Formats: sequence, C-alpha cells, structure tokens
Amino acid sequence: MFGRRNGVTREQVLTALADVLDPELHKSIVELDMVKDVAVTDGHVRVEALLTIGACPLRETIVDSIRAKVAAIPGVAAVDVSLGVMSAEQRQALVGRLRGDGTPQRPSSFLGPDSPTRVIAVASGKGGVGKSTVTVNLAAALAGGGLRVGVLDADVYGFSIPRMLGVHGRPTMIDQMLIPLEVQGIRVISIGFLLPSEEEAVIWRGPLLHKTLTTFINEVHWGPDLDYLLIDLPPGTGDVSITIAQTLPQSHMLLVTTPQAAASQVARRAARMAEKVNMELVGVIENMSYFVPAPDQPPVYVFGRGGGATLAKELEVPLLGEIPLDQSVREGGDEGRPVVMSHPDSAAAAAFRESAERLRAAVPVPPRVLSRD
Amino acid sequence: MGRMPTPVEMGSVTDRAFTIVWSDGHRSTYTWRNLRAGCPCARCKGEWDSRPAALRAEDFPAALRAMRLERVGAYALRFGWTDGHDTGIYPFPLLRFELCECGDAAHAASPSGHPAPPR
Repeated sequence: MFGRRNGVTREQVLTALADVLDPELHKSIVELDMVKDVAVTDGHVRVEALLTIGACPLRETIVDSIRAKVAAIPGVAAVDVSLGVMSAEQRQALVGRLRGDGTPQRPSSFLGPDSPTRVIAVASGKGGVGKSTVTVNLAAALAGGGLRVGVLDADVYGFSIPRMLGVHGRPTMIDQMLIPLEVQGIRVISIGFLLPSEEEAVIWRGPLLHKTLTTFINEVHWGPDLDYLLIDLPPGTGDVSITIAQTLPQSHMLLVTTPQAAASQVARRAARMAEKVNMELVGVIENMSYFVPAPDQPPVYVFGRGGGATLAKELEVPLLGEIPLDQSVREGGDEGRPVVMSHPDSAAAAAFRESAERLRAAVPVPPRVLSRD
Repeated sequence: MGRMPTPVEMGSVTDRAFTIVWSDGHRSTYTWRNLRAGCPCARCKGEWDSRPAALRAEDFPAALRAMRLERVGAYALRFGWTDGHDTGIYPFPLLRFELCECGDAAHAASPSGHPAPPR
C-alpha cells in the first residue's frame, strides 16, 4: 500500500492533532499538553490523550475528533486512542496556561482594559418584564450570527436561564476554575448548575451573593475568544448589580421594559444607576409591546403603548427593539429553546434578531487579531 | 447623559501628594490627609441614624499615607490607609469635583450633576 511506503510521521500526527480542540476549553489539545504520546507503526497510529478529569463528560467527543483528524492523514490505516487522566501537577500547569503565560493573571479576558469581549448587563427596574427571555434570545440570535456568546445568569435568587436555554448539568471544575456549560454555541453559567437541584431555593444574604458573582466573573473560563458576555441581572438596583458594577472595569447596560408606564418609570432608576457607576447605557428593548390576535387583525396594545420609546428618548439612547407578545416566546422559554431557535419565522424571533443586530452595531466587537498560537 | 470624567493617569501611593490627570484634561492634586478626611464611607460620613462629626485633615497624623490603591469597576477608587481604614469607595466625580485641591474654581461644581454612587 502507498501509505506504508510514504510513512506517516509523528509530526504529521501532531500537526493534525493541533486542530482538535478541547470541547470545553476551546483550545487545541496539543497546546494544552493533553497529548501524552503518539506512536506510529506502519500506518497504525496510537494516540494517548490525557483528560483533565477522569469523569470528563465530553470524552467521546474528544476521542471522535482525534480519530477523525488522524484518520484523514494520507497513509493512516488505523487509529487507536487511549485515554489517561492528568495528574494534579499537570492540571495546575493547564490552569496556568489557560490563565495566560503562567502569570497569575485572572482567566476572564474581559477584566483587562484592552479586552475585546463586550460585556452587556441586561437590566430592568421591575421584575417580570422578560429580562431573561430577552437575554437568551439575544444570545441565541448573536450566536446564530456566528458570534461567540456567553450568558452569565446573575439572577441568583430567581435564576431561570438553565430552563430557558434547556441546559442542565454540572460544570467541570479544573482546580479553581469553572468551565461553563455550552448549548447551541452559547456558554452558560448559572447558580442553578451548582445547587443540589434546580428546585433548591437560594436563601442568602449579600456577602454570599457577592462571592458567587465574583466567582462567576473571575473563576469561570469564559474563553479569550468570547465576543459578547450577556449578564442577566436580577430586577432592580441591589447587591448583585452593585457587585457587577464594582467588579467589571468596563461594561454596558441594556434596559428591558414593557410599554407600561409603571415599568418604564422604574427602569429609569436602573438607568440612573448605570450613570452613577459609569456603565454605558446602550439602549432599551421594549418587551410585550403588542399582541396580534390573528394575522388579519390589528395589534392590541395590552400594556399600553410607547413606554420603551419614551424611555429611550428620555435617556437619549436608541430603542433597540419592540418584541411582540407571542405565545411561542413563552413556550420556547419553557421548553428550553428560545423562540429565535424554536420558531425562527415568528414575528417575535424576527424582532429579537433585529434587536441583536442593532445591539451589535451599538456595541461592536473589535476586529480580532489572530494570536500566533 | 454626559459620561463622568475618568482618570487617564494616576500617581502612586509612594508619592508625596496624590495626582490624577482626568479624561477632561484637568489635573488634580490631593494631600493624603485631606483624601483620608474626605472618605465617603458610612463609618466616616454616617448613616441614617448616625451622624459622626465631620472629619478634618488635622484629625490624622501628618505621616498618614495610602498603602493600597485600586480601581472599583469603572467609576471609583478605593484606598487602603496606614491607619487600617479601607472601606471608602471614592467615586470619580467626588475626586474630580469635590476633593480636588488644585485651587481652581473650574471644578467647583459638577457640570452634569453626578449624584453619589453606591458605596
């Protein structure tokens, strides 16, 4: 056979493996030193890969992609993958690399002043205006547009992101670093993943909230390639919002309101907070704007009209969107598939996509300079 | 809504007097004791039910210095002092418009009326 004569080299295999990304860490397994050994005998390639932890939930994914990449090298007849587990020292070295160059830098890229990641805190004054719904749908729309998006569920008491995105499970923890769960290309962290069960209530005072939030920001490996991090804030201007404001050196605020005067009046206070803590207000999204009972009927303005537009005008920021009241929005949230994904043709999905586009234009991500590695 | 001025250049805690050059071009100078006396924390400035006497620079030893200096979010600085106090979060508007000791009238009032941020 041709392949045997050509002789597959170890270097060829390593080059191919450089394209295999760890599904959680989003970095090459070669770069992460996860390839322990490569042996080539007459077109038979044996790869020994090290997992970060033995119970790695994505081991099959890693094995499959190693197999596929190596098998694609001309001359390779068979691929045999065996797995090992990293020692404590190897894991420590890996965490060091993830944090960057072994310096004791923090892992979150967006904590640096020159970070390319845009952090957008989604806020409202009142509860129940659909902040989380807006957050997950904007995330889905941005991710659908090819951007790398993270969602940080900061609504610690009233978390609902896991259900709305249909993502459940326990994040992998590598030493002190949490790896966010991922669904439809969206990286997600929520207190819901860390509780014994999602039915559990969080009955905490401020200091514990503060600790949780700073952990979510400092100790989660969001990845250096993240374009947008959306933070689903709890309603109002309490502990969590203050922690976010005090921890992030730069962030933007997006206000969600309903058309109702009572809601937009309270939303104004959240805007006031943004001003005080020097967060840039990027715009207003009006949710539950109107209801269309049937295709041939005029819209019904259930919660009144123009609250979002008035608020945006008053705050001198753009109205990024008006999302119609639609049963499929609620259903999508309950089923764990945001309406942008479950009913992409609906008016609500179109409104979310349009809002995401405007948000993207208002807070553009800088062009990426590809790093050497 | 005008954005608040932010420091583009800052002195260090080892300097004899603290300086900040602001995004609006203004250069502020501070003596350490005055900065300490201007601490806006609840312990120094009081709460609803406690109104301590206003602190004055003379209340502190002349050798008082900041040991630590860090930024808080996008809006404030926090100092750790040689007397152990470190709970004061100094919003930029406070530093720029109220505590600045340059003697220039230009900074006397906050043009955009920035109110006190959370502490």
